[in-house]
Amino acid sequence: MSLNDFIKQLDDLVEAASHRFEEAIKQVDSQILEDTRVEYLGAKSGKLKEAQKGLGKVSKEDKPVAGKRFNEVKTRLEELFQSAADTITGGSSSKGKSEAIDVTLPGKRPRLGHIHPITQTIDELKDIMGRLGFSAVEGPEIEDDWHNFEALNIPLEHPARDPLDNFYLNVAAAGTGGGNQLLRSQTSTVQIRVMENTKPPIRIVSLGRVYRPDEIDATHYAMFHQIEGLLVDTNVTMADLKYVLRLFASSYLGGDVEIRFRPSFFPFTEPSVEVDMRWQDTWLEFGGAGMVDPNVLKAVGYDPEEVTGFAFGLGVERLCMRRHGINDIRYLYDSNTKFLAQF
Amino acid sequence: MLVSWDWLKQYLDLNISEAEVCDRLTLAGLNFDGASTVNNDRCLDLEVTSNRPDWLGHVGIAREVGVLFDLDLKVPAADISAISNGGACSKIVQLEDEKFCPRYIARSITGVTVGASPAWLTNRLNTIGLPSINNVVDVTNYVLMEIGQPLHAFDLAKIEGDVISVRKAAAEEKFMAIDHREYLLSSDDYVIADGRGAIALAGVMGGKETEVGDLTTDLLIEAAQFAALPVRTTSRRLKLKSDSSYRFERGVDPEMIDWASRRCCELIVETAGGEVCEGRVYAGSQPHSRSSVTLRLSQLPRILGIEVPEAEVRRILEKLGNEVVDQSAGSITITPASWRRDLDREVDLIEEVARIHGYDKIPERAGVSLSASHQSDLDRIRNKVSTAMLGMGFDETLTRSIVSDVWSKAFQGWSLSEPLTTSMPMVKGEDRLRVSLIPSLLGARRNNEKFSYPEIDLYEIAKVYLPKSKALPDERYMVGITSGRGFYELKGAVEALVGSLNPRAMVTTIPYTDPLFEEGQGSHLTINGTTLGYLGVVSKSAAKAFGLQQKATVAELDLTALMKLAVLVPQHQDFSTHPAMNRDLNLVVDEEVSWSRLQDISTTAGGELVQEVTFQEIFRDPKKDGPGKKRVLFTITLQAYDRTLTGEEADATISQILAACGKETGAKLLA
Repeated sequence: MSLNDFIKQLDDLVEAASHRFEEAIKQVDSQILEDTRVEYLGAKSGKLKEAQKGLGKVSKEDKPVAGKRFNEVKTRLEELFQSAADTITGGSSSKGKSEAIDVTLPGKRPRLGHIHPITQTIDELKDIMGRLGFSAVEGPEIEDDWHNFEALNIPLEHPARDPLDNFYLNVAAAGTGGGNQLLRSQTSTVQIRVMENTKPPIRIVSLGRVYRPDEIDATHYAMFHQIEGLLVDTNVTMADLKYVLRLFASSYLGGDVEIRFRPSFFPFTEPSVEVDMRWQDTWLEFGGAGMVDPNVLKAVGYDPEEVTGFAFGLGVERLCMRRHGINDIRYLYDSNTKFLAQF
Repeated sequence: MLVSWDWLKQYLDLNISEAEVCDRLTLAGLNFDGASTVNNDRCLDLEVTSNRPDWLGHVGIAREVGVLFDLDLKVPAADISAISNGGACSKIVQLEDEKFCPRYIARSITGVTVGASPAWLTNRLNTIGLPSINNVVDVTNYVLMEIGQPLHAFDLAKIEGDVISVRKAAAEEKFMAIDHREYLLSSDDYVIADGRGAIALAGVMGGKETEVGDLTTDLLIEAAQFAALPVRTTSRRLKLKSDSSYRFERGVDPEMIDWASRRCCELIVETAGGEVCEGRVYAGSQPHSRSSVTLRLSQLPRILGIEVPEAEVRRILEKLGNEVVDQSAGSITITPASWRRDLDREVDLIEEVARIHGYDKIPERAGVSLSASHQSDLDRIRNKVSTAMLGMGFDETLTRSIVSDVWSKAFQGWSLSEPLTTSMPMVKGEDRLRVSLIPSLLGARRNNEKFSYPEIDLYEIAKVYLPKSKALPDERYMVGITSGRGFYELKGAVEALVGSLNPRAMVTTIPYTDPLFEEGQGSHLTINGTTLGYLGVVSKSAAKAFGLQQKATVAELDLTALMKLAVLVPQHQDFSTHPAMNRDLNLVVDEEVSWSRLQDISTTAGGELVQEVTFQEIFRDPKKDGPGKKRVLFTITLQAYDRTLTGEEADATISQILAACGKETGAKLLA
């Protein structure tokens, strides 16, 4: 008997048997099932037993292949029977008693990934601001002088524009329209872009990576993340700013939080304040805030006599590190999986 | 700014506790950073913002305390008429550039005896961390810390010639400073020069040549104003910061320069003897008259959300040293104090009123209305991608956007342009804006291999920066993935990721050659003809270049392409409730016939009954099948929407598939 004939015979067997088992399932008839089992899997004169005889007739070199195929078919028929039996009896109760297992052996854990703590912090902040009606927006990380400085009331002679304090790009200034290009040093750039293209009211949070040259150590990194809120409308005051920040702080820290303003200085807001949150009897530094400077409103074509606005900004790293007890900022950007797997 | 408590009390009748003063100062913008006891005095550390150079002297701080506690400020008159003789300063001062040095006052003192400072002077300087040098230098430092105006005392006898000039340094001009170090100047620096050369680095530091020493008897006292930007440039370039440069960078009070000069002379004569020459040298122009600023009281509630009584507004503005020039219906007009160059707009006055009146008086107001906010599509996609990656066991990482030159060129599938460079590196040797996340992720693998961590499966969603001529670069979000798993495992992960965004999207893969990939094991992924990304096994040479010991696979997908294919709101599609039927096929085909080919042919030829064509396995048996052949085992899943398929229908479909495969690829069914 040739190998092909043998395999053909087995295939036909499976084909025919599966029709019979299907029939049994269709009619929910255990008698047909039992008859079929005897007919095909019967130990004495089942068709499989019969077919096994053909195995002896194939040539010696084909035997391994034929044997393998035979075993597959046998398993397949047993599976077909079992599954039909399960379907008809509604479960595997017909099976014999299962053997006891060592339930104390470890489970087989699927590997789960982890979200970076910075992303988790950003997501939480975005989520809170979203509930307060602020939509998250992003913008380019590489900016021109106009969006990073001029429009934000940071004139050319301002120290913040020092080449040593910014990552300027080595590209020709011509043609870009906005002068030099640099990696943005703050996400307020996005606010300018939004205001340039949208009429008030504005209610957004801008967020993302920002860059400032710094010697990297446990508390400093030359790349970090900011999230900044902006609300511009008619009749917006510092009392509104205080209210929104208190809601934000209460949501973030949970429970009763008090907000305190300390005067500060930022070119793009006036008045400018540092914001502290009182939580569990300590004042925590929260971030900077203030009323949008009239020069900024003018730069984007708004009339400061018509609209007012407030803005605030937070350093994501600081919040993230305090929340999770991370003691070295470098861990955040080292990709150490032992670190990442903790969050 | 370090402040001596004892010193502060010189200008005010201060009967208020240190704690209360520091508290109020903090809430007025002078953040209290701590205090320490020095001998019998207290040293307060107050943080001064860059807009308030007037706070860089004790008088300025005392003035603020006076405003907060309604106390009168007593500033010394600095009257030197009684200690002056009829002489005049013997030098002529020439200003080369009045933009840099708008005014320069020189006075000379003759017959001083240089020696130790009296205890009161030494103590005050010690309290704020300054060492005592001698009675002349100490006085210049004292007045600097009193009013914030830098001063310098030259040994008059050592100044060569009659002319002192304020000029630009010559390129590579050498200058020996009082720190006894030699500095090489550039033509951007400004110096004070005598007949021989530079005797001081303008606004930064004096020179060794004209330094006041024990034998000095005659002095020239310099009190001048220098422009902020050049002083800062010089100070930063030479890494030479001084109390003087710090103050010039922030701006000095142009109307107090002469006061500072007189005060300095007064105290030198008091501590070192001698006589002041009555005739001073004043080079440059008088300060510009200051323009007035009007505050409309209606603007206070508009910005602050509270009303402040008119009398209180006026008191605050006046007490801060501004002169009220007009008060009429609902507005107050002032001429700002000379030391408050930061007050030139209405909003500046609003801030002053708010600051002194107290931000604690501003209530929380629920004036903002409710507003809808929406999650951006970018955020939605990013969240979906993260969810899929987490489920497949990948950890999210974040890596630096700026990389080394070598890394920036390790994979250039997205752009062949020279990567953009920054003017300074982020860390040593890294100044290229990355054009791919893959090199950073391979670096991340190496960081983890160092610790022998077994599973390093990472992804990052971040931007690459593709150069564009004459415009801001093309910033594109990428999903970078790296794994220790094999090609097909990673490909499966990518397919599953795509499937999670759109179950019907078909990723097409074609071979892609790149030095990063092992030969024949790189691929280019597309969706409907648009590039989705790249995927491959890291080549041995690349692994070596990145210092990797173990096998690694990488992929990088364009997030915008994922956004395009994603179905954010999936729609229900009716599906068949009839049983499906699986048929296995074992075909012998030429080695060159790709799986995707067989799959396409089967899908097309089988028609609408074909639900899925699933790959199972490939065998090779050259003895049986001949060389260059392979056996491809796969399963066809058939299902009809409206009925249970009969065996005949299934057979017919399978025959069509076999026929088509046979015709188009020469495939033979293994019978």
